Amino acid sequence: MRHYEVVFLVHPDQSDQVPGMIERYQSLIERTGGKVHRAEDWGRRQLAFIVSKIHKAHYVMMNIEVGAETLAELESSFRFNDAVIRYLMIRRKNAEIGQSKIYEEELREQEKDRERDRRREEELASRRRDNNNDDEGARNDAPAEENAE
Amino acid sequence: MSRFRRRRQGEVNITSEDVDYKDLDFLRQFIGETGKIVPARISGASAKFQRKLTTEINRARFLALLPYTDQHK
Repeated sequence: MRHYEVVFLVHPDQSDQVPGMIERYQSLIERTGGKVHRAEDWGRRQLAFIVSKIHKAHYVMMNIEVGAETLAELESSFRFNDAVIRYLMIRRKNAEIGQSKIYEEELREQEKDRERDRRREEELASRRRDNNNDDEGARNDAPAEENAE
Repeated sequence: MSRFRRRRQGEVNITSEDVDYKDLDFLRQFIGETGKIVPARISGASAKFQRKLTTEINRARFLALLPYTDQHK
Protein backbone atom coordinates (compact mmCIF):
# COMPACT_ATOMS: atom_id res chain seq x y z
CA MET A 1 0.00 0.00 0.00
CA ARG A 2 1.29 3.36 -0.97
CA HIS A 3 0.29 6.94 -0.59
CA TYR A 4 -1.04 8.79 -3.58
CA GLU A 5 -2.49 12.15 -4.31
CA VAL A 6 -5.15 12.17 -6.99
CA VAL A 7 -6.69 15.23 -8.62
CA PHE A 8 -9.36 14.99 -11.26
CA LEU A 9 -11.30 17.50 -13.31
CA VAL A 10 -14.99 16.93 -13.92
CA HIS A 11 -16.97 18.48 -16.75
CA PRO A 12 -18.93 21.44 -15.33
CA ASP A 13 -22.22 20.05 -16.73
CA GLN A 14 -21.67 16.93 -14.61
CA SER A 15 -20.89 19.01 -11.52
CA ASP A 16 -23.85 17.69 -9.56
CA GLN A 17 -22.51 14.14 -9.90
CA VAL A 18 -19.35 15.03 -8.01
CA PRO A 19 -20.48 14.13 -4.46
CA GLY A 20 -21.71 10.77 -5.76
CA MET A 21 -18.41 10.17 -7.55
CA ILE A 22 -16.38 10.94 -4.44
CA GLU A 23 -18.53 8.54 -2.46
CA ARG A 24 -18.18 5.83 -5.08
CA TYR A 25 -14.39 6.10 -5.18
CA GLN A 26 -14.24 6.25 -1.41
CA SER A 27 -16.21 3.02 -1.06
CA LEU A 28 -14.08 1.37 -3.76
CA ILE A 29 -10.91 2.31 -1.86
CA GLU A 30 -12.24 1.22 1.50
CA ARG A 31 -13.62 -2.04 0.12
CA THR A 32 -10.15 -3.04 -1.07
CA GLY A 33 -8.56 -2.22 2.28
CA GLY A 34 -7.30 1.25 1.38
CA LYS A 35 -7.76 4.51 3.17
CA VAL A 36 -8.86 7.99 2.21
CA HIS A 37 -6.79 10.40 4.26
CA ARG A 38 -8.12 13.57 2.77
CA ALA A 39 -10.75 14.44 0.21
CA GLU A 40 -11.30 17.99 -0.98
CA ASP A 41 -13.89 19.40 -3.33
CA TRP A 42 -12.42 22.56 -4.82
CA GLY A 43 -15.61 23.37 -6.65
CA ARG A 44 -15.88 24.84 -10.12
CA ARG A 45 -12.77 26.74 -11.08
CA GLN A 46 -11.79 28.80 -14.08
CA LEU A 47 -9.20 26.94 -16.16
CA ALA A 48 -5.97 28.75 -17.03
CA PHE A 49 -6.57 27.73 -20.65
CA ILE A 50 -9.25 25.97 -22.65
CA VAL A 51 -9.24 22.19 -22.32
CA SER A 52 -11.40 20.33 -24.84
CA LYS A 53 -13.52 23.47 -25.42
CA ILE A 54 -14.24 23.88 -21.72
CA HIS A 55 -13.48 27.02 -19.74
CA LYS A 56 -14.39 25.80 -16.28
CA ALA A 57 -14.08 22.49 -14.48
CA HIS A 58 -14.96 20.97 -11.15
CA TYR A 59 -11.81 19.99 -9.25
CA VAL A 60 -11.58 17.19 -6.72
CA MET A 61 -8.50 16.15 -4.80
CA MET A 62 -8.02 13.00 -2.74
CA ASN A 63 -5.09 11.76 -0.69
CA ILE A 64 -5.33 8.01 -0.53
CA GLU A 65 -3.43 4.94 0.58
CA VAL A 66 -4.12 2.06 -1.78
CA GLY A 67 -2.58 -0.97 -3.39
CA ALA A 68 -1.51 -1.09 -7.03
CA GLU A 69 -4.63 -2.96 -8.23
CA THR A 70 -6.99 -0.46 -6.67
CA LEU A 71 -5.05 2.41 -8.17
CA ALA A 72 -5.26 0.78 -11.59
CA GLU A 73 -8.99 0.29 -11.11
CA LEU A 74 -9.37 3.92 -10.12
CA GLU A 75 -7.39 5.02 -13.14
CA SER A 76 -9.47 2.96 -15.56
CA SER A 77 -12.64 4.33 -14.02
CA PHE A 78 -11.32 7.85 -14.69
CA ARG A 79 -10.34 6.94 -18.21
CA PHE A 80 -13.72 5.46 -19.12
CA ASN A 81 -15.74 8.14 -17.42
CA ASP A 82 -16.51 10.83 -20.00
CA ALA A 83 -17.25 13.34 -17.25
CA VAL A 84 -13.59 13.24 -16.13
CA ILE A 85 -11.65 15.63 -18.32
CA ARG A 86 -8.22 15.16 -16.79
CA TYR A 87 -6.66 13.42 -13.86
CA LEU A 88 -3.32 13.53 -12.12
CA MET A 89 -2.00 10.80 -9.85
CA ILE A 90 1.22 11.32 -7.96
CA ARG A 91 3.12 9.33 -5.34
CA ARG A 92 3.41 10.85 -1.91
CA LYS A 93 5.79 9.83 0.85
CA ASN A 94 3.18 9.96 3.57
CA ALA A 95 -0.45 10.74 4.21
CA GLU A 96 -1.19 14.39 3.62
CA ILE A 97 -3.66 15.88 6.03
CA GLY A 98 -4.91 19.37 6.70
CA GLN A 99 -6.33 21.74 4.15
CA SER A 100 -4.48 22.51 0.95
CA LYS A 101 -3.83 26.07 -0.18
CA ILE A 102 -6.39 25.88 -2.98
CA TYR A 103 -9.06 24.46 -0.69
CA GLU A 104 -8.47 27.23 1.83
CA GLU A 105 -8.92 29.72 -0.98
CA GLU A 106 -12.11 27.98 -2.10
CA LEU A 107 -13.50 27.99 1.42
CA ARG A 108 -12.74 31.71 1.72
CA GLU A 109 -14.56 32.29 -1.57
CA GLN A 110 -17.57 30.33 -0.36
CA GLU A 111 -17.59 32.31 2.86
CA LYS A 112 -17.52 35.53 0.87
CA ASP A 113 -20.37 34.32 -1.34
CA ARG A 114 -22.44 33.38 1.67
CA GLU A 115 -21.72 36.76 3.25
CA ARG A 116 -22.82 38.54 0.06
CA ASP A 117 -25.98 36.45 -0.20
CA ARG A 118 -26.82 37.19 3.39
CA ARG A 119 -26.32 40.90 2.88
CA ARG A 120 -28.43 40.88 -0.27
CA GLU A 121 -31.12 38.94 1.55
CA GLU A 122 -31.14 41.47 4.36
CA GLU A 123 -31.27 44.34 1.94
CA LEU A 124 -34.20 42.79 0.10
CA ALA A 125 -36.01 42.09 3.33
CA SER A 126 -35.58 45.63 4.59
CA ARG A 127 -36.67 47.04 1.24
CA ARG A 128 -39.75 44.85 1.35
CA ARG A 129 -40.52 46.07 4.86
CA ASP A 130 -40.10 49.68 3.73
CA ASN A 131 -42.48 49.15 0.82
CA ASN A 132 -45.09 47.59 3.07
CA ASN A 133 -44.85 50.47 5.44
CA ASP A 134 -45.18 52.97 2.61
CA ASP A 135 -48.40 51.30 1.57
CA GLU A 136 -49.83 51.61 5.00
CA GLY A 137 -49.45 55.38 4.96
CA ALA A 138 -47.72 58.20 6.71
CA ARG A 139 -48.78 57.36 10.24
CA ASN A 140 -46.50 54.34 10.23
CA ASP A 141 -43.40 56.33 9.35
CA ALA A 142 -41.81 56.08 12.75
CA PRO A 143 -41.98 52.26 13.08
CA ALA A 144 -40.72 51.91 9.50
CA GLU A 145 -37.55 53.66 10.46
CA GLU A 146 -37.12 51.31 13.36
CA ASN A 147 -37.51 48.31 11.09
CA ALA A 148 -35.01 49.59 8.60
CA GLU A 149 -32.23 49.48 11.14
CA MET B 1 28.79 44.90 -20.86
CA SER B 2 27.10 41.61 -20.24
CA ARG B 3 29.81 40.39 -17.91
CA PHE B 4 27.46 40.82 -14.98
CA ARG B 5 24.65 38.41 -14.45
CA ARG B 6 21.33 39.67 -13.26
CA ARG B 7 21.14 37.67 -10.09
CA ARG B 8 18.83 38.65 -7.29
CA GLN B 9 20.40 36.92 -4.40
CA GLY B 10 18.57 35.96 -1.25
CA GLU B 11 15.29 35.92 -3.11
CA VAL B 12 14.83 32.22 -2.59
CA ASN B 13 15.53 30.82 0.82
CA ILE B 14 12.87 28.18 0.94
CA THR B 15 13.59 24.48 1.16
CA SER B 16 12.43 22.40 -1.77
CA GLU B 17 10.03 20.47 0.49
CA ASP B 18 7.79 23.50 0.64
CA VAL B 19 7.10 23.68 -3.08
CA ASP B 20 3.69 22.36 -3.98
CA TYR B 21 1.65 22.57 -7.17
CA LYS B 22 -1.38 23.64 -5.13
CA ASP B 23 0.30 26.80 -3.82
CA LEU B 24 -0.45 28.89 -6.88
CA ASP B 25 0.42 32.29 -5.46
CA PHE B 26 3.85 31.00 -4.53
CA LEU B 27 4.46 29.44 -7.95
CA ARG B 28 3.32 32.59 -9.71
CA GLN B 29 6.37 34.37 -8.35
CA PHE B 30 8.48 32.16 -10.58
CA ILE B 31 6.64 32.55 -13.85
CA GLY B 32 7.16 35.60 -16.00
CA GLU B 33 4.58 37.76 -17.70
CA THR B 34 4.42 35.38 -20.63
CA GLY B 35 3.72 32.43 -18.34
CA LYS B 36 7.15 30.92 -18.80
CA ILE B 37 9.22 29.67 -15.90
CA VAL B 38 11.80 32.27 -14.89
CA PRO B 39 15.33 30.89 -15.37
CA ALA B 40 17.31 30.15 -12.20
CA ARG B 41 19.95 32.53 -13.60
CA ILE B 42 17.46 35.37 -13.11
CA SER B 43 15.59 34.25 -10.02
CA GLY B 44 18.69 33.09 -8.16
CA ALA B 45 17.10 29.75 -7.34
CA SER B 46 19.46 26.90 -6.52
CA ALA B 47 19.59 24.02 -8.99
CA LYS B 48 17.79 21.72 -6.57
CA PHE B 49 15.08 24.26 -5.91
CA GLN B 50 14.68 25.03 -9.60
CA ARG B 51 14.17 21.35 -10.42
CA LYS B 52 11.48 21.00 -7.78
CA LEU B 53 9.88 24.22 -8.96
CA THR B 54 9.77 22.99 -12.55
CA THR B 55 7.99 19.75 -11.69
CA GLU B 56 5.45 21.51 -9.50
CA ILE B 57 4.76 24.25 -12.07
CA ASN B 58 4.32 21.60 -14.74
CA ARG B 59 1.86 19.73 -12.54
CA ALA B 60 -0.12 22.90 -12.01
CA ARG B 61 -0.03 23.52 -15.76
CA PHE B 62 -1.30 20.06 -16.56
CA LEU B 63 -4.29 20.65 -14.31
CA ALA B 64 -4.87 24.02 -16.00
CA LEU B 65 -4.20 25.83 -12.74
CA LEU B 66 -1.39 27.82 -14.37
CA PRO B 67 -0.95 28.81 -18.01
CA TYR B 68 1.74 27.42 -20.29
CA THR B 69 1.90 30.72 -22.14
CA ASP B 70 0.00 33.99 -22.49
CA GLN B 71 -0.98 32.95 -26.03
CA HIS B 72 -3.81 30.69 -24.94
CA LYS B 73 -6.96 31.91 -26.60
